[in-house]
Amino acid sequence: MNTYTICIFTENTIGLLNRITIIFTRRRINIESLTVSETERMGVSRFTIVIKHDSREAVEKLVRQIRKIIEVMAVFGYLNDEIVSNEIALFKIATPLGSKPLDIEYINKNFNAWVVYWQLDYVVIEKTGSEKQIFEFFSYIKPHGILEFVRSGRVAVGKTEKGLVEYLPEYEWEYYL
Amino acid sequence: MNTTVIELTAEKPQPAVPSAKLLKPLTGAEALMQALVEEGVETIFGYPGGAIMPVYDALYDYQDRLNHILVRHEQGAAHAAEGYARVTGRAGVCLVTSGPGATNLVTGIADALIDSTPMVCLVGQVAMKLLGTDAFQETDVIGVTMPITKWNYQITSADEIPEIIAKAFYLAQSGRPGPVVIDITKNAQVELMTKAFHYKKCERVSTYRPRLIPKQDQVEKAAELINKAKKPYMLVGHGVLISKAEKELLAFVEKTGIPVATTLLGQSALSDDHPLYTGWLGMHGNYGSNVMTNQCDLLIGIGMRFDDRVTGNAELFARQAKVVHIEIDPAEIDKVIKADAPVIGDVKEVLNRLMPLVNENDHTAWRNEFRKYDDIEEEKVTQPALAPTTEKIKMAEAINLLSKKTNGEAVMVADVGQHQMMTSAYYEFKKPHSLVTSGGLGTMGFALPAAFGAKVGDPSREVIAIIGDGCFQMTLQELGTIAQNKLPVKIIILNNNYLGMVRQWQQLFFERRYSFVELQNPDFITIAKGFGIVGHTCAKREDLSASLDTLLASETPYLLEIIVEQEENVFPMVPAGTSVADIRLE
Repeated sequence: MNTYTICIFTENTIGLLNRITIIFTRRRINIESLTVSETERMGVSRFTIVIKHDSREAVEKLVRQIRKIIEVMAVFGYLNDEIVSNEIALFKIATPLGSKPLDIEYINKNFNAWVVYWQLDYVVIEKTGSEKQIFEFFSYIKPHGILEFVRSGRVAVGKTEKGLVEYLPEYEWEYYL
Repeated sequence: MNTTVIELTAEKPQPAVPSAKLLKPLTGAEALMQALVEEGVETIFGYPGGAIMPVYDALYDYQDRLNHILVRHEQGAAHAAEGYARVTGRAGVCLVTSGPGATNLVTGIADALIDSTPMVCLVGQVAMKLLGTDAFQETDVIGVTMPITKWNYQITSADEIPEIIAKAFYLAQSGRPGPVVIDITKNAQVELMTKAFHYKKCERVSTYRPRLIPKQDQVEKAAELINKAKKPYMLVGHGVLISKAEKELLAFVEKTGIPVATTLLGQSALSDDHPLYTGWLGMHGNYGSNVMTNQCDLLIGIGMRFDDRVTGNAELFARQAKVVHIEIDPAEIDKVIKADAPVIGDVKEVLNRLMPLVNENDHTAWRNEFRKYDDIEEEKVTQPALAPTTEKIKMAEAINLLSKKTNGEAVMVADVGQHQMMTSAYYEFKKPHSLVTSGGLGTMGFALPAAFGAKVGDPSREVIAIIGDGCFQMTLQELGTIAQNKLPVKIIILNNNYLGMVRQWQQLFFERRYSFVELQNPDFITIAKGFGIVGHTCAKREDLSASLDTLLASETPYLLEIIVEQEENVFPMVPAGTSVADIRLE
């Protein structure tokens, strides 16, 4: 099983997420993570969808089917070594009186993780990195008692010289920048 | 809501101005009517109901410009729209209400998608503020139709109507055609537009740009393979007819001398009596046409998608051959069969560009290799079918006789099953756009509504529906539509008192365990009579010719029931999941 990251540029309209996920469902492909947000072009959304699959050919066919959706401008499928990717994770850690103190300095230096919020009985730590790095930190912090944990899902940019928006059809898009 | 409708009605009459600009504000419903007129729509197949009533009220004033045909069930509207689209090339239009009205369209929409048929479905919806409240006759039509439409959209304000309707027709008819569903909330139908009505046909959607003109390097590579091939073989699909490229195909075939087979939906793209036409492909296609896919050295797929009913076991299909695949939808390339030279583009444009690059050639010797299979098929299948010794009439002889009597020039609308395969096999098509049938979805009940849709689309042609006794009972209420609109459709029921194709499979693959395939049929002629349609039953071979003459001579709709051999099987047959080389003749 290889991990594939699929980047989809679409119009930012109602129901498009549904149209896209139907294509995965019909082929019984599970979505490992999914993030959507608007890009620097107004009205253009970018989906980043991570899947696992053992057939590159099947993923290529999937990409071509997504491309057929009217509101989809472009679709790119990548293997892990073709992208720079990251996730963000938030850990809510219990810090009751008398518990083992958190070594914040160690966490900062070794894990590049930061306390972003604290209360008397808990802190919230933000950790950015690859899925692997996040789970390494997860293992380290687990003995302290994790009250809540969430990952954002992957965001990724391609390792090509051009930005992906360069591949989009050139039209009268308004830019935020 | 009702009071609003009445007030609006009181403001009438308001004759619509047939110009692009209407200065007086229109209601959404009026805007919809005007948009359809300006799009060039002539016929609507529909059924009224609560959430579409404002539109039907506006339609009352547009009866002189829009021919509305009231069907008896929304599925009938969908198939009629398909039949209309298949003979005209223009989108068929359906107009139905929310909830059950819309869900009854679903089978037809799915059918149109898989057979690349342009269709625009205009569907009523509850008012916007009621969306998501489980209001009366509210169904999430956008959600339901998402996987079976090329595009769908919910209109919630009158102002959106002209632009969205234009976009709907453009998307349905361009590129690889398909069905589009437009869900219109009731408030959008009754409210006034806040701007002057202005209709502009859609010519471009920024995020959708089907490639019509092929890339030159792809064309050149294909031409090179075609010129080098010793045993080239062309498989022609529905795309040739959609692209209206019959003339280009004929010129290409005659220049290159390449033998041609068609898929089920590609039938009639090339006249059946052309010397290079080898027959049709697929599970029940011709012997030679199927077997030779595994002997050619180059396979040229044109406007077709290597459906599993064509390839049999795809892993054993044409492995010896290089493949040129000419297709407008890039997602079809390599989907089933790997292409050595894909050419993405509109078939007509591709053929026009290939033409000067391919060499004039003569493949008579190779074409003649097909003939030995033709001879075997003739002896084992065709002759026994056409000159039967059975007491009862055989489907094949009825179709064959019909073909002769109509000179192969009628539009044949075949339902789904044995009679469909027999129509494809024994009708000799001489004119393009002459076989209308449900290929990809295999929708029983398709033919009766599709036949009157086709008749409305092209009244100048004889339209003959070939229907099984099982299929007929799925949509027979549409006899009412045919009678009310006086549509001279000729209906033939081939009655074997069985769900014949399922019975055939049970006989061949399930040890004759005939599980729920026998039908206790009604008296079809009495039923037709009840609808005001004349007809008669033909049970004897000696009456067959005269019966067909009566049917063809009728100037009104006519139903001919032919009692056929009960356990006739369709051969040749490629059993599901096997190689085309394993085709059976008995």
